[in-house]
Amino acid sequence: MTEAAYLSMQGLSKAYPGVVALRAANLEVRRGEAVALMGANGAGKSTLMNVLGGVTAPDAGSITIDGSPVRLRTARDALAHGIAFVHQELAMLPSMTVAENVFADGFPTRFGIVDGATMRRDAAELLVRLGCNLPTDLAVETLGPGDRQMVEIARALRRAPRIVIFDEPTSSLTNNEKRRLFEIVQGLKRDGVAIIYITHFVDEIFEICDRVTVMRSGSTVATRAIAETSPTEIVRLMLGEADSGERLADEASSAGPLLLEVSGLCGGILRDIDFSLRAGEIVGLWGLLGSGRTELMRALIGLDPIDAGALRWRAADELRPVTPNELHQIAGIVTEDRRGEGLLLPLSTRANLSLASLRSLLTPLGLIDRNKEEGLAADLIGRLHIMVSGSAQAVGTLSGGNQQKVVVGRWLATEPRLFLLDEPTRGLDVGAKSEILKLTAALARAGAAVLVISSEPEELMRICDRYLVMSRGRLTAQMPGSATRAELLSAVSATPLRMSAA
Amino acid sequence: MSSFGRLATFLLQNGFLVVLAAVFAFFAIFTNTFLASGNLIDMLHAMSPLMTISAGLALVVMAGKLDISVGSVAFVAASVGTLLMTRLGCPPLLALAAALSAGALLGALNGFIVVVLGVNPLITTLGTMIAFRGVGLQLTNAQVERLPEGVRELGNWSVGPFFGDTLIALAIVLAVDLLHRRTIFGRQLTAIGNGEDVARRIGMPVDRLVFVAFVLSGALAAVGGVLDTLQIGAISAYLGKGLEFNAVAVIVVGGVSLFGGRGRILSSVVLGALMFELIRNGLNHLGANPYAYRLVSGAVIFAAMYADALKSRVRRAAVGAPAPGEA
Amino acid sequence: MGASVGQAESRRAGRWSGVDAKLGVTAALLLVILVVLLVLAPSFFRPNNLVNVLVQTSSLGLMAVGMAPVMIAGGIDLSSPANMALGAVLGAMFMQAGGNPVVGCLIMVVAATLVGLLNGVAVALLGMIPFVVTLATMTVATGAAVWLTHSVSVSGFPDSFYDVLLARLGGIPVSVYVLIAAVIILGAAMNGTPFGRYLYAIGINPRAARVARVPVRAATCASYAVSGLMAGLTAVLLSARLGSASANMGNDGVVLDVVSACVVGGVSIYGGSGYVTGAALGALVITLLSNNLNLLGVSYYLNLMTKGVVIIGFVALDGLRRRAS
Repeated sequence: MTEAAYLSMQGLSKAYPGVVALRAANLEVRRGEAVALMGANGAGKSTLMNVLGGVTAPDAGSITIDGSPVRLRTARDALAHGIAFVHQELAMLPSMTVAENVFADGFPTRFGIVDGATMRRDAAELLVRLGCNLPTDLAVETLGPGDRQMVEIARALRRAPRIVIFDEPTSSLTNNEKRRLFEIVQGLKRDGVAIIYITHFVDEIFEICDRVTVMRSGSTVATRAIAETSPTEIVRLMLGEADSGERLADEASSAGPLLLEVSGLCGGILRDIDFSLRAGEIVGLWGLLGSGRTELMRALIGLDPIDAGALRWRAADELRPVTPNELHQIAGIVTEDRRGEGLLLPLSTRANLSLASLRSLLTPLGLIDRNKEEGLAADLIGRLHIMVSGSAQAVGTLSGGNQQKVVVGRWLATEPRLFLLDEPTRGLDVGAKSEILKLTAALARAGAAVLVISSEPEELMRICDRYLVMSRGRLTAQMPGSATRAELLSAVSATPLRMSAA
Repeated sequence: MSSFGRLATFLLQNGFLVVLAAVFAFFAIFTNTFLASGNLIDMLHAMSPLMTISAGLALVVMAGKLDISVGSVAFVAASVGTLLMTRLGCPPLLALAAALSAGALLGALNGFIVVVLGVNPLITTLGTMIAFRGVGLQLTNAQVERLPEGVRELGNWSVGPFFGDTLIALAIVLAVDLLHRRTIFGRQLTAIGNGEDVARRIGMPVDRLVFVAFVLSGALAAVGGVLDTLQIGAISAYLGKGLEFNAVAVIVVGGVSLFGGRGRILSSVVLGALMFELIRNGLNHLGANPYAYRLVSGAVIFAAMYADALKSRVRRAAVGAPAPGEA
Repeated sequence: MGASVGQAESRRAGRWSGVDAKLGVTAALLLVILVVLLVLAPSFFRPNNLVNVLVQTSSLGLMAVGMAPVMIAGGIDLSSPANMALGAVLGAMFMQAGGNPVVGCLIMVVAATLVGLLNGVAVALLGMIPFVVTLATMTVATGAAVWLTHSVSVSGFPDSFYDVLLARLGGIPVSVYVLIAAVIILGAAMNGTPFGRYLYAIGINPRAARVARVPVRAATCASYAVSGLMAGLTAVLLSARLGSASANMGNDGVVLDVVSACVVGGVSIYGGSGYVTGAALGALVITLLSNNLNLLGVSYYLNLMTKGVVIIGFVALDGLRRRAS
């Protein structure tokens, strides 16, 4: 047994009403070692880190630092114990200088006035030690994400922490910036700092981490030395051994005509995306978090801007060029965030269902025909088995599954020929999941082209006719519907391959 | 970037100075009396109350909030001071202290409503703007109240070639500018204007800072009211009416963004106030319709706000962030 | 299968939602004021006086009813009274110079609507902050009105102008009918047309509205134009009632009254809730408060203070309720 852990989190549990976030989770980090913390969405990583950061109080469990038990009740406690975070969402003050941002949580003063000279000098020193030559009086808003992250790291390291947590640090970095980050991590290790490295990019952890802890459903399921495991094993541990449910969609025997053709799409993190969709087929957009799947959907309908690329859509029997905004008027989209971007919570179920179809529900005078609207609502409620006590019920009071059905229902009413579904079963119980999946299958049977994002391969396997695999903003592979779970997992755990012909 | 794009960027960043120079040149050429040195001194004199009030408002705006009650606060504070002297025979220094305290207190009330009750600053200060004016009118009974003899002469006090109040106002603006740029308080206010959530995440005591900003805004509004009263020699029911809008205009035109967190207070306030005073004074010398001022200044403000919004959108587009109201 | 208890409760919650409760508060406030008047100043209820009160309410009410859609969509229009004054002045000057009264009225309405459209473009297309934009428009409009009139009120309307606009049908003046018509039409528009639904959606959650294909920019712009339109109508009626038009018709006391009327009437400053009818009721409450504080011997100045307190109070309560839910 090698040296004892510097940081030891044991048996941590936390439950919220209706959800168990942590179930006796454990994590240990030694001095000078980097432990990767991995797990799918909802696995409990964030909650565990919130406990460590003093933001969340655990229901049970203990934390020991350097042999002594500690209680982290506030963020200040965490700071006082030498814990520093480099968050995924940078806390930057755009119009202020690099030096000011580094010292934002503790400006140096001399006789009551902010000591600009010392601030700039010390900030420069910190940055140089990180391998960064930024002039410290530049406004942060002029910097790219990689340099901004350097400023954030400098701020975190200012207090010489003994434990540093990096949360998804490489999502927006160029290759060079990533190298720089890895060198910083190595440097910190050499200084004896204990590092927790959270990421979805399995390949990275094999470069700089010494051990990996995998969480799933709130517990720690495994801890391995990096040298003794493989990317495939890690992904398997992350996603568990769930049984695939029964197949819910018929194989699209002969797929219909080509409806959508995308070529050379670039924008944000997306690069050179080429693919096409046929009527009646369900295509799974598969990849780990951060691969750009949501970004792709949003770009297709103009919610995010695109820099380059051509879209073509079938109209009157041939493919014609179309803009994302026009596609928005044709497609139905179920976003990831149904409460934030999908539903109007205080409004009634009926109003939510009819929102995109109002123009087809008018009386000759231009008023909304209440009977037609009620008819539409009743029809959708019946078809989708939405559990409401009446179409007037406020959508905010429905259960997650029923809320999701309302979102799907809204688009169903517009009879779209293209359906984009982003994590449509997230947060739903098993029964609701099946129902949504069956609905998705029905959409395709009705002749629409369906693109589905899910982080659970079993789900995709129940309905998809083929898969598009994404990684870091690129389409890295296309796989047929007959792909096995193992094949899907290895497609995302290996380093990006060149796209193979479908 | 195309040459048009470069020109556009230059104009957006420095357009204000260009316009200022153009306005100055316009009036210098087209009138006889505009350029006389006495006139410039007079302009600075006239600008002093506005500069003072704008400096206080600038602190609140820097934190991303707004205070449109400053005109009414100036009125109430000046009324309190004046009435203490004329009705109760208070010595002037005590009256001054009372006026400043009144301003700070009213500012604190604003701060309380915004921070503790959580009411939107726009509505808060809209309500207090009217309520405070009511208080002032009640106190003075909407009558004109002249300052006592000795005090009234202070209005003419000059130091060298300049009026005393000009120096006071400039000193105040300088002090506020230093407060903004060199103290932790000022830096933290700027941080809040950059992003209140981020500031909280970093650990800044946002509520306390916003509260203090409102108190300072109130106190400086009081100073401005006092200066204005000294210039006129009396308190009238119109004191400070529309002043809040002028102060906002000065700040925006001078370059402090209404979205918060950016701009230099010294140059904004001085140059912004100068711009409006130039227009007013120049139109006067031109013998133009006195009402033209409001129209012209309104147009200038609109253009400045548009530029501010445009700059903000360009910034947000570069980062990929949503506009206020979009997310 | 019967609905569970929880579902039945949610249905009840859905029916008596926050807004209906707020309309209830407004109605209750109205009732309280009327009762107090009954006791302290029963002469209030003389038919003549009641009609007067209704007429006074009609101008505030029209502007409040026009502002309601803007607030429901999450914005605000501080320039409404100033637009009204500018429109009134323009039309009045036209008529004073001998112009056709019908055209004069049209000028009033169109001018105010155009300014409203300007606001709409600035907010929806140029992305400016509604509060500040309309504050600027307010100043420019007032400035223009002051300039055009040299601070002198404009009168000299032709008789036909007064004959039509001051007429009474069944003892009730035309302006009251106009207010009622506006409440009905705008109310129907807000509750029963896609446009109205879009405004509520934008006020509740602009992101979700956008994803749901709501034409956010067009609808927002249109709401400001509606506010301008109502200001224009107010200009016509108020000029007739006062017998003149002046830049002072839209001073900043009026703005506070309009916003208060909406807020007291249950239209939330944060957007997404409230009814046009509520704005009209709120206007009635504010008018009663203004008038009757006078009747009860409260000075004008105390009146101002009360109004400030009322508006802050209502918005604070609204905010507290939102945070609790």
